[in-house]
Amino acid sequence: MEPILQTIDLSKYFPIQRGINPFSKAKKFVRAVDGVSVTIWKGTTIAVVGESGCGKTTLARAMALLTKPTAGDVIFNGKSIINGKTNLKQVYRDLQMIFQDPESSLDPNIRVGNSIGEPLEGLMGWSKAEVRGAVDKSLAAVGLPLDCVDRFPGQLSGGQKQRVAIARAISPQPKLVILDEPTSALDASVQAQILRLLLQLQKDYSLSYMLITHNIAVAEYLSDFMAVMYSGNLVEYGLTEEIMAKPRHPYTIALISSAPIANPWKRNLLQVEIRGEVPSAINPPPGCKFHPRCPYADGICSRQTPKLEEVSQGHFVACHFKEKTA
Amino acid sequence: MTNLLRVENLSVCYESRGGRVTALDKVNVDIRSNELLAVVGESGCGKSTLALAIIGLLPNPPARVLNGEIEFKGTNLVQLQPARMREYRGTQIAMIFQEPLSSLNPVYKVGDQIAEAIIVKKSREDGHAVETEFMQKTHKVTLPSKVPKRPRSGKRISAELKQEIIASLKLVRIPDPEQVIDRYPFELSGGMRQRIMIAMALSQEPALLVADEPTTALDVTTQAQVLKLMRELMEKVKTSILLITHDLAVACQVADRVAVMYAGDVVEAANVFELFSKPLHPYTEGLLSCLPTGSKHKVDLRPIPGSVPDLRSPLVACKYASRCPHVMKKCTEKKPDLIEIREKHEVACYLHGEKNGTDTANN
Repeated sequence: MEPILQTIDLSKYFPIQRGINPFSKAKKFVRAVDGVSVTIWKGTTIAVVGESGCGKTTLARAMALLTKPTAGDVIFNGKSIINGKTNLKQVYRDLQMIFQDPESSLDPNIRVGNSIGEPLEGLMGWSKAEVRGAVDKSLAAVGLPLDCVDRFPGQLSGGQKQRVAIARAISPQPKLVILDEPTSALDASVQAQILRLLLQLQKDYSLSYMLITHNIAVAEYLSDFMAVMYSGNLVEYGLTEEIMAKPRHPYTIALISSAPIANPWKRNLLQVEIRGEVPSAINPPPGCKFHPRCPYADGICSRQTPKLEEVSQGHFVACHFKEKTA
Repeated sequence: MTNLLRVENLSVCYESRGGRVTALDKVNVDIRSNELLAVVGESGCGKSTLALAIIGLLPNPPARVLNGEIEFKGTNLVQLQPARMREYRGTQIAMIFQEPLSSLNPVYKVGDQIAEAIIVKKSREDGHAVETEFMQKTHKVTLPSKVPKRPRSGKRISAELKQEIIASLKLVRIPDPEQVIDRYPFELSGGMRQRIMIAMALSQEPALLVADEPTTALDVTTQAQVLKLMRELMEKVKTSILLITHDLAVACQVADRVAVMYAGDVVEAANVFELFSKPLHPYTEGLLSCLPTGSKHKVDLRPIPGSVPDLRSPLVACKYASRCPHVMKKCTEKKPDLIEIREKHEVACYLHGEKNGTDTANN
């Protein structure tokens, strides 16, 4: 397998100011993403899971060049896309993104056909006729009727709007599609339709996906690899099957057992032992950021940040006491 | 188990410029005492309208109760005067909403807001009879005269009251409650705010707690904590809970009984184990096969074809008929009644139960 995208120690800090003095030197930072290294393999899906504020969306935005990383590097298709030497048009063509809320990612005053077609003229340099053909083709691929071209987003249902967003993302024939919570705004039956569609498109266009979600069931269904983030750090990475069956980081264990499952005989939710809530990203606890909530925490956890280490083939965990959860 | 609340043939519509939208169409639901009933369904199926109808908070206009009864401890809540309804709302039937930040007052400290709930409860216990007599005489909507003003700051709260506030915060497991009573809602996390809402609701010792998507705005680990807490407090305070949720998995994890709604109808209601192992209504089956329960290599999702019917045009038939794989001729002619097929398992579908068939023949 070859990698399609790699991040190397990627960090994104957002400065915050306290008080009204604009020249104040004492700056604080929200460490949204703090030294994350992940690899996305060609033709596979990686799910980045974690709770709100853990930095999963910032990671995706940094990868897609929507925000400039503070430190670290992003290697896409073998080339760094941070250093400013790469052809960005090519990157924008090959790397597409689908957002959570199609309501706000589609312009309400632009017809669906133009929403999909307009970027193609600039990105691909196609003629009007070629663009029209590509729009029809991608609408058909997402299972929308062709007369949608002349409609406005307001005339479509939530599921149809998300299909339009997907059609727009796949129309420049990208290699990697970043899916940021693609189904959280949708109902269960529509979610199932969109998940099936995403799998079908991955097969037809040999796409790689990076899925950002807080829904463990969706991540388990769609992904081959899983990366668990907590407060800006990557705490566990490995094959989805392995992580779901044998999570090793105490946070992953808590996260998986907090996810409600549709089996009344397995009432894991009522047995959950996790305490407390996600720490503030401005003043995170020292050492391992999970230690105030961790059942295994010891003195070392508040002093030293654990490194990501391999526990078995391709399964990485950042925990001082990873042998305790084996 | 006895019925605490019985909703019978309740129809609610919203009058809009585009026509009348039937949000609830002759809904029948029971809630038994000390039971957690989850009402599940997709957006627009009427589950929140049902919750608001029960607590008497339907926005009127545009909402209007067309017919039906909500019987709570022998009283029909639908026909109650607004002033009489206020005796039930909050004290007998309490509610928690989805977004705790918009249900808490941002300019008052948390402790003062809980204090108010406790003071109101006490004044109601004392001056109850006077208040209702007055209301009946005048038939006017006036605020209960006996309710004292909200204490302005923590200082004026008596030591005794403070102990009660701290006790109610301890009940919902808020860490160091002595500190929390002097904080404003924005200083607390989402999970803490929702716990405070639960503390306020339960300080009234209600017989029924209506929770409308209480954990939808929360993270999964916080959601697990809040749901676990609700379940534990239910046993402790001996209350019933009506949990409205779109998440079948959440319902499955905490409920005793589940009612499935579709386009304004309750299509199936059963014990949680029955419903998830032997779903009878095709919609419930469809909904369950939409849930991702494993990896793509093992699980094949089967989405329901089609979409929800337009509720502006009143449908006489089964509303699921256009999407149902087992649709028959009579499904498009008359709506099936909700009938008890097995013990504690009701379903509204012609596929099940002889009774439904004969009913149509007689009519």
